[in-house]
Amino acid sequence: MNRVYTLVHRGLCFVALLSIGAAIVQAQETVTPSDSFNIVATTTQAADIAHILTDGVDGITITGLMGAGVDPHLYKPTESDIAAMNDADMIIYSGLHLEGQFDEVFQALGEQNIQIYALSKPVKDAGYAIGGFTLSAELTNVDDPHFWFDPRNWELTTQDLADAFSAIDPDHADSYQANAEAYSAQLQALYAWAQAGMISVPEGQRYLVTSHDAFQYFGAAFGWQMTAIQGISTAAEAGVGDVQGVVDFVIDNDIPVMFIESSVSPATINAVQAGVAAAGATVRLGILPLYSDAMGNPGTFGGTYTGMIAENVYIILQSYRCAGVAVTLPDWDTLVQPEPTAELLAVDCAS
Amino acid sequence: MTKNNATPIAFTVSDLTVAYDGKPAVWDADLAVPEGVLMAIVGPNGAGKSTLIKAALNLIPRAAGTVRFYGKTYEQARDLVGYVPQRGSVDWDFPTSVIDVVTMGLYGKLGWFRRPGKRERALALQALEQVGLGDFADRQISQLSGGQQQRTFLARALVQDARIYFMDEPFAAVDAVTERAIVAILSELRSRGKTVIVVHHDLQTVPEYFDWVTLLNIEVIASGPTREVFTQDLLNKTYGGRVAGLQAPAPSDDSAESPAAYTGYAPARAGS
Amino acid sequence: MTTLGRDQRVIGVIAVLALVAILFIGVSQTAWGIQYDYTLRTVALGGALLGVLTGVLGCFAVLRRESLIGDAISHAALPGVGVAFLVAGRDLGALLIGAGVASWLGVQCVNAITRTTRLKQDTALGIVLAAWFAAGIALLAYIQSTPNASQAGLDKFIFGQAAAMLESDVRLIAAAGGVALVMIVLFWKEFKLVTFDPEFAQANGFRVRFITALLSTLIVLAIILGLQVAGVILMVGMLIAPATAARQWTDRLDVMLVLSAACGAFAGGIGAIISAVSTNVPTGPMIIVVASILVALSIAFAPGRGFVWTLLRKRADRRRFAVPTIGGA
Repeated sequence: MNRVYTLVHRGLCFVALLSIGAAIVQAQETVTPSDSFNIVATTTQAADIAHILTDGVDGITITGLMGAGVDPHLYKPTESDIAAMNDADMIIYSGLHLEGQFDEVFQALGEQNIQIYALSKPVKDAGYAIGGFTLSAELTNVDDPHFWFDPRNWELTTQDLADAFSAIDPDHADSYQANAEAYSAQLQALYAWAQAGMISVPEGQRYLVTSHDAFQYFGAAFGWQMTAIQGISTAAEAGVGDVQGVVDFVIDNDIPVMFIESSVSPATINAVQAGVAAAGATVRLGILPLYSDAMGNPGTFGGTYTGMIAENVYIILQSYRCAGVAVTLPDWDTLVQPEPTAELLAVDCAS
Repeated sequence: MTKNNATPIAFTVSDLTVAYDGKPAVWDADLAVPEGVLMAIVGPNGAGKSTLIKAALNLIPRAAGTVRFYGKTYEQARDLVGYVPQRGSVDWDFPTSVIDVVTMGLYGKLGWFRRPGKRERALALQALEQVGLGDFADRQISQLSGGQQQRTFLARALVQDARIYFMDEPFAAVDAVTERAIVAILSELRSRGKTVIVVHHDLQTVPEYFDWVTLLNIEVIASGPTREVFTQDLLNKTYGGRVAGLQAPAPSDDSAESPAAYTGYAPARAGS
Repeated sequence: MTTLGRDQRVIGVIAVLALVAILFIGVSQTAWGIQYDYTLRTVALGGALLGVLTGVLGCFAVLRRESLIGDAISHAALPGVGVAFLVAGRDLGALLIGAGVASWLGVQCVNAITRTTRLKQDTALGIVLAAWFAAGIALLAYIQSTPNASQAGLDKFIFGQAAAMLESDVRLIAAAGGVALVMIVLFWKEFKLVTFDPEFAQANGFRVRFITALLSTLIVLAIILGLQVAGVILMVGMLIAPATAARQWTDRLDVMLVLSAACGAFAGGIGAIISAVSTNVPTGPMIIVVASILVALSIAFAPGRGFVWTLLRKRADRRRFAVPTIGGA
């Protein structure tokens, strides 16, 4: 199925390997932190945590590869991406095969003594990865890569990444650790706030229906049940059976609202909605798309990790409220930055 | 049969030039073909014989020159002209029957949106009888022999009841019996006052079948009654050297010239 | 073999197809528990209608020896999708129009290359197919980093996503099918003559360029509509397979069209249903698999042309003609 992608990215990777080889021949020295500390981050979440931990430290350059609204399951690294990774002192990526098209690039880079760090590592090591999913014939029993949706997991990542930074750049270890501590406090407050909101929905109605299965950790964090049309990766094509299954699920459980995602086509959700309508029931769509694999535009509320989680919670709660379910929107804990926008706090359901 | 000034000119070509890739395939051709003749166009490979016909019928673009059919342009005279293309120009595996192909000759008269009906089928059957394929009407064209294919194409042209017929190599790769049959049909056409112009490859049979001949090697070397034009000298001129084994007709007064190799334009490519 | 005999055979084939389809639907409901709900009905109907449309038009493509033009058209659509997204955003209508324009330009390019250079049509098709598709892939790679690109689902054009078909999509395919059928009925003798002998058609005053353009446009339309079902890569199968299967059973053009439509409908419908059996079976490729099976069976078993038939006939001939020569000189 993905043979075209594989062919194209194998070609790119071949060129990548060639250029990496050339780089070895030319420059053998390892970069010391006294030069600029070059960090390359793949996903928006990775770039976000890198910015937060290195706040206040000079000489840091962070390069993000994927932008807002980009699907990391499908994103193929370009020439400039590989060049940037070549020049990096450290590459931060999400891991657990989220960046599905990067596997061979990471392998090649790993052989170059470039530091590559998976944000999922501490979560996996602590045993919090949700596993047992099948991606393809070769990749069975894989872990769900969307671990960051549980703020408690993100806390583990924050601390471990700060330790990794401190190891590479001991001069600024104090800053990294201080930033990590402050941020962890925010994450704990965020979790408490989100928990309060999510469990205000009556127990029999805690269902989250989305395009692809990105919210297992989110559900585990707050005691909600997930259903999706596609599996944990958007690379596979949704089948008729997948759509039918979700239609039946929505009808059987009287689910009032489904959610589209910011980085995935809404086509399959629309098909489910049509199927439900044909069976005589109705299901609404969420007031806004959820952030699943990518965060929002930089500078917006959803452009930071805390904002993204909070915005998802607001979207879910407001959508359920508009669907007639009694929910409570908890008061915002001002420890958590940034603050939510007015549009999220007061939603006009008629629009 | 002599042609006098009273005989109308069926087909006129003036200054016709056709070029491929900057090289001339037909150069400055002039022809005046009177009504009622059975004319062969002969010449070596690449001489432009098929090209001449296709250009006359507006199938390929002309670089220069005019062509007239009974004084009219081709668009005006289309009903007067019948065309038999080379047999190899179609895929004979096409799912259709013999009578279907012959009926296609009448499509032009029907115009847009009308369908061929009983009348068209009867005419087509008649044409098939004429070429001796009356029993083959519902046969698939993939089951035909080469000679039968040629006769089907002939019937398709006959059904158009034209006044001038153009045929591109109708005797190519055809068995002797079919060849005789075709010649008989062509003669019958001539006796009915039709003009038949044929691209022909076999010099041996020219004097026997055709009463007019045009010698073409990119330029028209000569055109006129076979007896006058089909001479050893002119043939040598056309073919650029001695043409061996040819029975020249009774020598005319000009035959004392020694043959000279005519070095005109070399043919640009094989096949006209 | 009389014409009537051949027609009976074709009616028999269509009857077999219908019977298998009905049996299949019945068995699938009882044995495999497939629900014939709105979703499956929509996708199966859409697939079947698309099969009719591509089956009918595919006959002309195959007979004109332009089978691979479907491949070129579908691959050439890709950069159009990318450009349309950059210009107009993720509106599906805009994307399809962009696909159509790019395909149409690709076809014109193929014709221009064939007409003005010494290259043959298969070379021209290959060049345009590769160049346009590569441009499309490069453009999509560039686009993938811009916001909202993933929401447009541009990558789904490459492989198709039939399961997301809506009733509006089915209506669109039906409308296009209606237009195509009307055109074919109106221009039947023109399409037939121009496909069989374009030179003779031209000499008889038919506007060959116009008729060819009309046919090409209909084929482009069919392929663009089918992109969302089968995707760029497999669309050519939907165009060629039903026509190829039908050709084995009949020697009449009108019958071939009808049978091709039936084969296309069968493949489109049954393929969609099979893909509903398991949750990991993609619909577009399944349709092509069913169509290919029809081709294989037709090539093997069709009387008169079929492989198996020829084998048996050869054996019978050998038996019949061997006897008098045994013991002879």
